[in-house]
Amino acid sequence: MTPGFIAQALAFTRRDLLRERRSGEVVWVTLPFGAVALLLIPIAIGTDTPTLRRVGVGMFWVVVMLFGVLIAVRRTSADSVAQRDMVALTGADPAASFKGAAVANFMLLVLFEVVLGVLTVVLYDVDLAGWLWIPLILVLVAAGLSLLGTLAAGIVSTGRSAAALVPLIVAPMSVPLLIAATQSFEGLRLGESILTWILMLIVIVLVLSIAGVLTARPLQETG
Amino acid sequence: MTTAQSPSDTAQSSIWPWIAMSVAGLITLVASFVAPADAVQEELSRILYVHVPAAWLAYVSFGVTMLASALYLWKKNLLWDRIAASSAEVGVLFTGMTLVIGMIWGKSTWGVWWTWDARLTLTAIMFFVYLGYLALRRTTDDLEARARRSAILGVLAVIQLPLVHFSVVWWRGLHQTPSLLKPASVDMDTPMVLTLLIAVAMFSVMYVAMMVKLVELAKLEEEVILMDQSDLGPVAGAAVVAPSLGGDS
Repeated sequence: MTPGFIAQALAFTRRDLLRERRSGEVVWVTLPFGAVALLLIPIAIGTDTPTLRRVGVGMFWVVVMLFGVLIAVRRTSADSVAQRDMVALTGADPAASFKGAAVANFMLLVLFEVVLGVLTVVLYDVDLAGWLWIPLILVLVAAGLSLLGTLAAGIVSTGRSAAALVPLIVAPMSVPLLIAATQSFEGLRLGESILTWILMLIVIVLVLSIAGVLTARPLQETG
Repeated sequence: MTTAQSPSDTAQSSIWPWIAMSVAGLITLVASFVAPADAVQEELSRILYVHVPAAWLAYVSFGVTMLASALYLWKKNLLWDRIAASSAEVGVLFTGMTLVIGMIWGKSTWGVWWTWDARLTLTAIMFFVYLGYLALRRTTDDLEARARRSAILGVLAVIQLPLVHFSVVWWRGLHQTPSLLKPASVDMDTPMVLTLLIAVAMFSVMYVAMMVKLVELAKLEEEVILMDQSDLGPVAGAAVVAPSLGGDS
């Protein structure tokens, strides 16, 4: 009996998280890489606290967008054609595969955001006004970025220069996410309503979610 | 025995697209200089007759890429893939042109080559999104896989167009709001509007001419890829011939 959609998606999530536990690529490579970037920025732009406090949130989001993409690329380089063919032969739903991978990427991205977020607060002394909203913003951005990255990784698949091409596709297309994330924090700092930006993030997540499910089968058929 | 057909045998090259492009370019240039100079910006305003048509045709190009990509996903006909890719190439060219000409105008008017205006920034981002689309097409020689993957990106990437066009309305910046493409009345003098429309028409001619050549080129490129794939090369050991008596020695 074929397992249902959710069971299949969970199996793919478990596979990706298990692979991460064995390789430690996100925890031991991408995360420290992002942390190093946060350390390098003040050396380049100046180490005075008022400047760092002003640019801290923006730098955090730039590092999340650029380095978070590497979490989606990780899957591209790990999935060989043979592995993909094997999964296709099992009769698994490609949409479940997309969702499962996106959920695994989402969980790793939330971890990435939380660790780097704490580091940003410590290093840049950023203002945490309206902190109750911050978990929701982090979760929505992680969801958007993981869906976008998983979709781009599926489109690029196992072609030549795939690992380099995914960031080129994801980085410019993540601009709406970056705008919504930074503007939400700016709104919190100024004590304004951020509902418009939260709504924008929700719409982005929904659109990417639908696009990923709809394109999963055509992408699987391309091999 | 049949001989392999070279791509050049199937080429349907003609000279008319080149003539059309040259004539259209010349008319745009002449019209730009015949049009009256702006009261405030004077001669610099003539840049408008290249900058605006280039930007509009970039929108058209990416719109065609989206439509042709959707049609490929529906019909699975490689012709639509060729049209989508060719249109994206022209769009990238026109977007690059828009950016460079805009920067020249910006340096003379604003005093800087680049300003962090929403329209400028989003146009640059759109340029890189479609560069990514063109880069994606180079990652595989499997024509079907290439067409399907780039068609999906071609459909998704179109979200950039409304962002770029309405950026001047949604965010306050240095770039002026639309002069023609807006619901309210046109706030330009008639000779200038006419020159601009002539320039847009000529850029459209250039777009069609370039598309004809690029779609033709894309077909030839596919033939080369298929020839490369069918040419397996000599079989190992083919150089060894059977021994025979009465050689030339």
